[in-house]
Amino acid sequence: MPQVRIIAKNFMDMVSALPAMKLDKLYENPFICEAILRSLPPLAKKYVLQMLYIENPILAKSMEEWLLADGYSKHKVALDRLVQLRVFSEISDSRKRETSYILNPTFQANLQKHLVYGGVLPREPMSSAITNRLPSLEDLEAYALEQWECFLLQLINSAQAERHSNISSSMMKVFQRGLLSQRDKEAPKLTEHGFQFLLMDTNAQLWYIIREYISNSEERGVDSADLISFLLELSFHATGEAYNVNTLTEFQKCIIKDLADLGLVKLQQGRKESWFIPTKLASNLSVSLSDTSSREQGFVVVETNFRMYAYSSSKLNCEILRLFSRIEYQLPNLIVGAITKESLYDAFENGISAEQIISFLQQNAHPRVAERVPSVPENVTDQIRLWESDLNRVEMMSAYVYDDFPSRDVFESACDFDSGLLWEDSKKMRMVVKGEIHMHMREYLRRQK
Amino acid sequence: MSPAPSVASKLYADDVSLLMVLVDTNPFFWGTAAANSSSLSFSSFLSHVLAFLNSIHLVNQLNHVVVIATGFNSCQCVYDSSETTNRISDDGLPAVYLKLLHNLEEFVNNDEKMCKNDFQTGLTSSLLSGSLSMALCYIQRVFRSGPLHPQPRILCIQGSPDGPEQYVAIMNSIFSAQRSMVPIDSCVIGAQHSAFLQQASYITGGVYLKPQHLDGLFQYLSMVLSFNDMTLILHEMQAFLFLCLAVWALTSTCSQMQTVFATDLHSRSVLQLPKPVGVDFRASCFCHKNTIDMGYICSVCLSIFCEHHKKCSTCGSVFGQPQADASKADRKRKAPGSPRHPRA
Repeated sequence: MPQVRIIAKNFMDMVSALPAMKLDKLYENPFICEAILRSLPPLAKKYVLQMLYIENPILAKSMEEWLLADGYSKHKVALDRLVQLRVFSEISDSRKRETSYILNPTFQANLQKHLVYGGVLPREPMSSAITNRLPSLEDLEAYALEQWECFLLQLINSAQAERHSNISSSMMKVFQRGLLSQRDKEAPKLTEHGFQFLLMDTNAQLWYIIREYISNSEERGVDSADLISFLLELSFHATGEAYNVNTLTEFQKCIIKDLADLGLVKLQQGRKESWFIPTKLASNLSVSLSDTSSREQGFVVVETNFRMYAYSSSKLNCEILRLFSRIEYQLPNLIVGAITKESLYDAFENGISAEQIISFLQQNAHPRVAERVPSVPENVTDQIRLWESDLNRVEMMSAYVYDDFPSRDVFESACDFDSGLLWEDSKKMRMVVKGEIHMHMREYLRRQK
Repeated sequence: MSPAPSVASKLYADDVSLLMVLVDTNPFFWGTAAANSSSLSFSSFLSHVLAFLNSIHLVNQLNHVVVIATGFNSCQCVYDSSETTNRISDDGLPAVYLKLLHNLEEFVNNDEKMCKNDFQTGLTSSLLSGSLSMALCYIQRVFRSGPLHPQPRILCIQGSPDGPEQYVAIMNSIFSAQRSMVPIDSCVIGAQHSAFLQQASYITGGVYLKPQHLDGLFQYLSMVLSFNDMTLILHEMQAFLFLCLAVWALTSTCSQMQTVFATDLHSRSVLQLPKPVGVDFRASCFCHKNTIDMGYICSVCLSIFCEHHKKCSTCGSVFGQPQADASKADRKRKAPGSPRHPRA
C-alpha cells in the first residue's frame, strides 16, 4: 500500500532500539522477558522454547535442520528478531567460519523460573474489604473507552472536547506534533498523518501515543528503560482488580496519573488508601501481536447505494466518518451518511487513500454484515478506488522538447541515447525527454556537432 | 493496516491456540507403571504436564488451555484457563494448580467408585472416546462464541492400551475432528503403540509420537533434590502430597513434549516434525469388538464383522450365503491408506 506508516509496528521495535546495556538490564525483570517472548514471531518463540534448557551454543547449521525446505525466510526473520532483541547472541568462530547462537542467560533463567512457578502477578491485589464497590468489567471498559475518546477529541480539536483531561498542554503539544499542523492565526488543521491516525484501531492509536510518550520521556528527565519496564509490568496486572498506589515508587506514581488520563488505569480514593485499577487498554499494551488480535465490535453498515448507517453515539466516530462521507442526519444511536464523490475528493485532498477508507469500513463493519463476504459491497469499494484513480489520471512531469535536429542520424542517435525519452515524432524530428536528463542530452548533442 | 481483513476468517491471524489436553488417569495403567521402576510415576508425569501448560501460557497470553482427565469409566474437565486467574494462594502454590490438582483428585476418586460398581476383568483401557468427544464439543462451543476464536488442536497423552470396544465411537470422533480441521496430536507413554491414536493423528494431520526412552525425558528430575525447602512445605500438606510433589518437580521439563507439542499450527508449516513410522489401520469388528486383520464388510453400510452373519446388525441388509469355494474371495482385506467411514 502506498501510504506512509506513521507508527513503528509495535513497542518492541522501540525496545530493540535501546542500547545493549539497558536492554540487558531490562531482562532482569521477568515480566519483560515474558512480554518480549510474547511479542516474537511464532517461530522465534518456538526457538526460544527449544533452547530453554540448552546452555551451550547451537550451530546455525543444526538449527537449519529443524526446518522444512520452504521455511527459510521465516527462519531468517525469526533469527534476526531474536538477535536484534539480544535474546540470542551470535557467536562466530572465525577459524571454522561457523556461526552459533546462544540464549541470553538472564532471559533463560527467568523463563525457566516461569515454567516452574507459572505466571504470577507483579503485585498482590488489595482485598475487597478495603476497596468496596469496585467497578464491574463492563463499567471499566466503558470508562476506558470514554477516557480515550475524550483524549482523542481533545487531541484533534481542543474546542470540541466537553471536558478537559489533566494532561498538561505541553504534553498535548507533544502528542499533536506530526498529527496537526498549525499555521499562524489559523485553527490547527489535521495533517495527512493525523487522518491516518484517526482511521487506525484503538490499539494502534494507543501504541502511537505511548511511543510518543516514551520518546519524549528523556526530555522530562525520565529514564525510558524504567518507563518501558513499568508499562510492560502494568500490562500483566489483572484487569479490574485494585492495586495499592503505595506499592509504586515515586516515579511510577507520577506516571500513573498520566496513564489514568489516557484511560489505561482508573484511580480511586478510599478512606485512607488510594488504589489503581488497570483497564483493558493497559492489558492490551503487551498484546503487540497483530492488528487483529483485539478487534472491536464494528458499527458501520454500507449499502450498495452508497448509503452508510453507523450505529454509534460517539462524537469521535461521527467526526471520523465526516472525514470521507456526507453526514445526513444523526439519531441518538445512529449516524446516517452517504459516500459521495465530493466527500471522497475532500478526503483524498487531505491525504487519505482509498485503501485506508476501505479498510476502515471493513474493519468496522457491523457484526451483521461482517459475516458476509465482502463485508462492504464490491461496487462501493470499486467506485471508491475508481474515484481515487480519477484524480491520478494526469501526471505532471517536467520535460524538455527538442526539435530542429541537423540530420536524421543525430536525431536517431539522440533517441537511442538514454531511457529518458518520453515521446518522439520521427517525421518532424521532434522529441520530448524527461527533465532530469536534459543536461546530459544537451552535453551529448553538443559533442555530436 | 493489514490488507484483506474482509476475508471473513474468524481465526486469529497469529499463533493463538486453543489446546485441549487429554490426560490419561487410568488407575490400571498408572498402577502397573508404579510397580515398574523404569517407567515414570504419575506425579512426575503430572509435573511435566504442568510445565507444559506453563509453557503454553507463556508464549501467548491469549492461549486457551483445557485439561480433560480421561479415566477408566468417565472423563471430566479438570482445568480451564479461561475460568481462572493466576495468583499465589496462601500456601505458596499457584492457585490454578491447586484447583487442577484438587479437581483431579476428586475425579480420580469418583472414577474409582464407579469402577467398583461394574468391574470387569481384562478391560483396562481408558474412556478415550468420551474425552475426545468432550474436547470436540468444547471446541465447537468456542467456535460458536465470540467474534474471533483461536486455532484449536487436541493433544492426547495416553498410556493405557486401546479399547477395541470403543472403535466406532473413536473413529466417529476422529472423522468429526477431521471435518472441523482440528489436528489430534498424540503422545503415547505406554508400552505399546496405540493404533487408534496413530490413525487419529494420521487422518487429522497431527503428530504421533511415542517417546523411545522415557528415562531420557526425565534427565532433569534429579534437580528436584535441590528444592529441599519446598519439599518441607509439602510435608505440611499431606492431603495433596502425591500430587504436589509434581508441582515442585517442575524443574524438569519433558523436552520432547515441549518441542513437539508446543508447536503452534502457524509454525508447523515450516518445521520438521516427527513423521509417522507406520500406521496401524486395523479396525475392530462390530460384533465382538475384536481387532481384526481380515473380516466381512457390509456392502451397504460398510460395517465390519469378524464372522459371517445372515443379516447386517447395523443396517439390516440380508447377506447371501457364503459359497464354500468363493469364501476366500469374499474376505476383503481393508486397504491400508484408505480407512473407511464406519457408521455406528
